Amino acid sequence: MAVKDVQIKDKHIENLAKIVGGAQSILYKKEDLLAYDCDGFTIHRHLPKAVVFPKSTEEVAQIVKYCHENDLPFLARGAGTGLSGGAIPLNGEVVISLTKMKRLLSVDLENRRAVVEPGFVNLKLTHSISDKGYYYAPDPSSQYCCTIGGNVAENAGGAHCLKYGVTTNHILGMEVVLPNGEIIEISTNGVLDPPGYDLLGLLTGSEGTLGIVTKITVRILKNPEAKQTVLAYFDKVSDASQAVSDIISAGIVPAALEMMDKTAIEGVEAAAFPVGHPKDIEALLLIEVDGISAGIDEQIDEILKVCRRRNVREVKVAQDEKERERWWANRKTGFGAMGAISPDYLVQDGVIPRSKLPEVLERIKQISEKYGLRIANIFHAGDGNLHPLVLFDARKPGETEKALAAGSECLQVCADVGGSITGEHGVGIEKREEMRFIFTDEEIIAQTNIRDVFNPKNLLNAGKLFPTPGRCVEVKRNEKTK
Amino acid sequence: MFLITEQQGVLGLIATEFLLELKSILRDSQIQVEENESHPLGNSGRVTVYPQTEEEIANVLKYADNGGKKVTIVGGGTKRGFGGLTECADILLSLADYKGVVEHTVGDMTLTVKSGTPFQQLQEYLAQYNQTIALDPAWPEYATIGGVIAANDSGPKRFRYGSARDSVIGMRVVYPNGTIIRSGGKVVKNVAGYDMNKLFIGSMGTLGVIAEVTLKLRPLPKYESLILLSFPEGNIEEIRAFAVRLLDSMMEPTSLELLSPSLSERLTGKRTYTLAIGFEDVESSVHYQEDFVKRIQPSKTSMAILPLKEARVFWQQFYTIGPNGRQSGDGQEIEAALKIGVVNLDVLQVIKESHILQEAANVAIEAHGGLGHGLCQVYVKGTGEDVVAVIERFRQFVTPLGGYVIVKHLPFALRQKVDVWGEKPSYFFLLEGIKAKIDPNHTLNHRRFVGGI
Repeated sequence: MAVKDVQIKDKHIENLAKIVGGAQSILYKKEDLLAYDCDGFTIHRHLPKAVVFPKSTEEVAQIVKYCHENDLPFLARGAGTGLSGGAIPLNGEVVISLTKMKRLLSVDLENRRAVVEPGFVNLKLTHSISDKGYYYAPDPSSQYCCTIGGNVAENAGGAHCLKYGVTTNHILGMEVVLPNGEIIEISTNGVLDPPGYDLLGLLTGSEGTLGIVTKITVRILKNPEAKQTVLAYFDKVSDASQAVSDIISAGIVPAALEMMDKTAIEGVEAAAFPVGHPKDIEALLLIEVDGISAGIDEQIDEILKVCRRRNVREVKVAQDEKERERWWANRKTGFGAMGAISPDYLVQDGVIPRSKLPEVLERIKQISEKYGLRIANIFHAGDGNLHPLVLFDARKPGETEKALAAGSECLQVCADVGGSITGEHGVGIEKREEMRFIFTDEEIIAQTNIRDVFNPKNLLNAGKLFPTPGRCVEVKRNEKTK
Repeated sequence: MFLITEQQGVLGLIATEFLLELKSILRDSQIQVEENESHPLGNSGRVTVYPQTEEEIANVLKYADNGGKKVTIVGGGTKRGFGGLTECADILLSLADYKGVVEHTVGDMTLTVKSGTPFQQLQEYLAQYNQTIALDPAWPEYATIGGVIAANDSGPKRFRYGSARDSVIGMRVVYPNGTIIRSGGKVVKNVAGYDMNKLFIGSMGTLGVIAEVTLKLRPLPKYESLILLSFPEGNIEEIRAFAVRLLDSMMEPTSLELLSPSLSERLTGKRTYTLAIGFEDVESSVHYQEDFVKRIQPSKTSMAILPLKEARVFWQQFYTIGPNGRQSGDGQEIEAALKIGVVNLDVLQVIKESHILQEAANVAIEAHGGLGHGLCQVYVKGTGEDVVAVIERFRQFVTPLGGYVIVKHLPFALRQKVDVWGEKPSYFFLLEGIKAKIDPNHTLNHRRFVGGI
């Protein structure tokens, strides 16, 4: 317990250790810090100054206050599963790990809400309430280990957000430590529309640059009465894409509508959860509908009809929960599965208007040919959220750079057709420059102006989310601050 | 008398120069000088301008912002009595002539529209494609999509479909300095940069003029019905038990709205607490859910099921029960509308309280609230003094419940006596900071929002 037992030479580390109750709650030796030099985005790495493990809001506030007063850069980190580098300590930050703040504080089924600490794992919430028939809707693929605090920072999505929305649609309130250490509460009791600008909406998805969330009130939902899952194999990508459009046009709102192309199928079939998909198909669709049992069969019939009209080779409905789970495990571990067919891979996260799917897939194919790198496509087809996976071998000189360039070009294609550069992974470090594909300098300044209201010293997670200011941006900013 | 005449003379002189400048931006037909600058609901302007392009909006704002002029924004005018401590701004910027669909991509189920488009007009247009905007605001015939979003209006169906923050995916906003800022985009899923859409939704026009909105659409439900379940005994615990049972079932009502006996009398002819339980889905699913409700129907209650068209007629009437800012509001009786937010099931307490207050406080009160979302709308009629007293009573009642009262409609004179937004939140400095960054000169809708922002 006592700090004096430990030889800490750095006065900041010594002081931070005091705040969190001793040396067991802080890491500062190089060998311990190595695990924190990156998150799920592994191309950039940087060592933090220290990693602290607060156990309460008050400790977080004190750490932040200390950093603020001493001009130490700092950032918050959850499970470190982020895919865009949002938790990488680019500037040698003090990393505030929230993994020890992982309690489920309260559940109120009647009013459909729960209050969690930021380090509480996403899937654990559903597990804690499933016996009563309730669940928490946002389901990023990493939900078995990612934290709800991290989900809030990134506005995480998931396969089922087509019908149920992303994290921001499920956040009712939060307690936040601002970058100067002040603690604020926004509608922590979950009452909707608190008077004032919608800070909950602004903070969600702000990638940890506006404040550190220390308590989160989320909406929970009642399980759907019935659920049916369909798997459809297509010989042509264009038929699969067209089927996606037809399903939506038929007035069906599927809970999930996922697509994988040939390369992706090769990967998932070589990995830990093979389903036995045929290797020679061009695309598969995984479609789930849920809701009132009396209406489900009608929707499934309609979906089967659409698939047949679009020349499906084979289409089947999951016979039981076990089969459904197998199909989903195969899909949800899709990114990691690429490791089975390629030494390295880079995940992209573009979004396009659904109707542009055939055109964009064709252009991604051209990019793949241009760079001589295979690109697998796994994506949330229903909402147009693409995940091109660029396969490469980092051991070959120059291939990492080529993969990055190919990924960036995929995003340019998404932007060109009126889409976005990220649907759920966030900008982080990875897509800072690509922000320029979709926003003007003025629009970027409009956003950094908001950051300055919350984070005027820019000590909290600096260097993320926004492109390095170009010359003209800097000039404009100076004018503004005059 | 003499003093007033002189003041009017001075105003007249300023107006001439001011008008000439506006005429360099807009055509004469787009400028209307108001003869009567005072309006019982305030929020008027010495000159009303009707821009027809985004550029014209930007030019008007730039001119105002540089010249220290104040601008009030108006759409259909249904929310004229909602907030605002300026009786008459220099310019009333009307978006009535800035309307129409910009882009509707049927297959993508997205719609981009100019902000001055009346809500109902949009819904009628979309119905041709079996699509809909999943919002149910008040006075849809007059309320514009921009106004609905700027004031964050929502109705009973919010329980299932959410509110503006769940439907809006992109915007074009004109900042007070004339800059056009795009937020979000045209795709349904997007986390690039801050979610600036959220900042403008519900900002009451204090940050920028919403010029264009992109919305994500839903398929029009294939069938719908509405169950009206009346509780003649008036036992709130019994209503609660029923609601909890329905909420804990796997049924998926679109609305679970409790009507006060007075409102129920107006809408259904029965002076009892009534639950309006809506279902929207394929027909078989709707009937299945109706059957479930019949099975758990408490004894001594009565039930009516309004199918399809009848349900729609009910809702149409429902959306026009509150005061409409387009009407002058200078009648004998004072009308007020309150939005009360509480934890979901506390809605029962608020509606009960409204019933009690109506008996005790010499005012007429009609109220409804959603047991699945926690928002109540309360309409009060009476003398100014009594109305103000009732607002205060409601505030005292909901504060211990952790709720709030916002006054959505009140004549201008009374808005100076009642803080329509209630107490400032503890994080008010952040709201002030945001306003200062975007509208440092307080050009737009000055003092229309929380804490005089």
